[in-house]
Amino acid sequence: MKICLLSWEFPPRIVGGIARHVYGLAKALAKHGHDVGVVTLDFPGTPSYEEVEGFKVYRSKTEVGHPNFLTWAFLFNHFLEKELATANKDSNFDLIHIHDWLVAPAGIGFKQFLNKPLVCTMHSTEFGRSSLNNPDSYMIDGMEWWACFEATRVVVTTNSMKGEICGHFHVPGDKVDVIPNAIEVEKFNVEVDYRAIRGRFGIGDHEKLVLFVGRLVPQKGIEYLIRAMPRISWRFPEVKLVIVGEGWMRSHLEWLANQSGQSWRINFAGFISDKDLLALAKSADVMVVPSVYEPFGIVALEGMAAGTPVVASQVGGLAEVVEHDKTGVYVYPRSPDSIAWGIERILSDSGYRDWLIKNAHEAVNKRFSWEIVANQTIEVYKRVLGER
Amino acid sequence: MSKYPPVSPRPELPEEFRFLCMLHNVGAINAERALTLEEIARWTDKKPSTLQEYLQKLKELGYVQPVTEGGTNKYHVSVMGIRKVLTLYS
Repeated sequence: MKICLLSWEFPPRIVGGIARHVYGLAKALAKHGHDVGVVTLDFPGTPSYEEVEGFKVYRSKTEVGHPNFLTWAFLFNHFLEKELATANKDSNFDLIHIHDWLVAPAGIGFKQFLNKPLVCTMHSTEFGRSSLNNPDSYMIDGMEWWACFEATRVVVTTNSMKGEICGHFHVPGDKVDVIPNAIEVEKFNVEVDYRAIRGRFGIGDHEKLVLFVGRLVPQKGIEYLIRAMPRISWRFPEVKLVIVGEGWMRSHLEWLANQSGQSWRINFAGFISDKDLLALAKSADVMVVPSVYEPFGIVALEGMAAGTPVVASQVGGLAEVVEHDKTGVYVYPRSPDSIAWGIERILSDSGYRDWLIKNAHEAVNKRFSWEIVANQTIEVYKRVLGER
Repeated sequence: MSKYPPVSPRPELPEEFRFLCMLHNVGAINAERALTLEEIARWTDKKPSTLQEYLQKLKELGYVQPVTEGGTNKYHVSVMGIRKVLTLYS
């Protein structure tokens, strides 16, 4: 098959999880022998065209801008359409697979002009992210509905997201396929100098490392983890929290850490390299995913693959990635008390901790590899092409 | 006394970061597409004095890169600044 993946983010241009998802999917599809082209936006220092891991990457420049985000998004879609035309001349794609509303106009144009099927993966919804609190939000919500309406098939990563899409956009259930997100399990099989990496982030030999990884935005629920720190430290005075990631809430969270009187045990590490992140994940005592909205929760999966026990809010997709008391521990969202309980549960029982790690590792290998996800995605493509 | 720290007022994106996003969206993302203060003022509808304050803060943070072309000062978002903008969009 000749497959075009269209996304506004692709490494090294990383906004959220979509960049890594599209990279992993393109690589896995190419490994299966398919002709894959990724069309995306440019990033300083990257070539406008390259071949990576057996697939092609086309990067589009946005020649005309506008200060307003939505206007800019429509403008870059126009330039993506031009890039799609170039890529299609090379490959004559059988179908186009778009990722989220940001590239919907270009993807829908491609479908309509060339009469080719459109597959749309909805990674999250504006309704879930922001509860539609301003006119821009309503417009994004409309774009998401439009993408689902125009798509031949809609893909989501969890049943929770399927419920959201079918309920909010009234998409028929039989038009939606659930294919989980995946990770490269092999990349976690590396030796790590635990002492060195912990030392670099200010964690001593006898201290407990609680790790958060994610964007510093309200939906990730970090403030509830910070607010849980005083209680955790009563029972485990040796505990320290490392927060990896950036986002617009950072200064507010630093303020909150100061207010908690715990700022000396909370390290805002910002962005770190993938190599350091992997090492840190492997050397953490607990990874916490305290999200209040989470369509999938890839970070939980990465913690499980890294052999670190996971404490996760029982929300959305997280509740399908983690199995309570088997592959991780559920806590109530927005509850510092519950988060503290979950962390203490793991830190206080090493036998329980080891049992969770073992089960989690098995679950990751069984359900969340790119090989499995690529096979499921190919089945969707075959169905789409067969229905024409 | 509560065992938890207080809940703060609703966090908001600082104005200079909103401005950084605007600079990014208009396309000032490399030296060739850097803009003068006057051009930025026209694009963003902000006073030059406010812009200078924002640009100074963003330069100090490494998010904006100044360049001089033919004796004129111009500004563009640095690679670090682009990464920052992308985190603000997620």
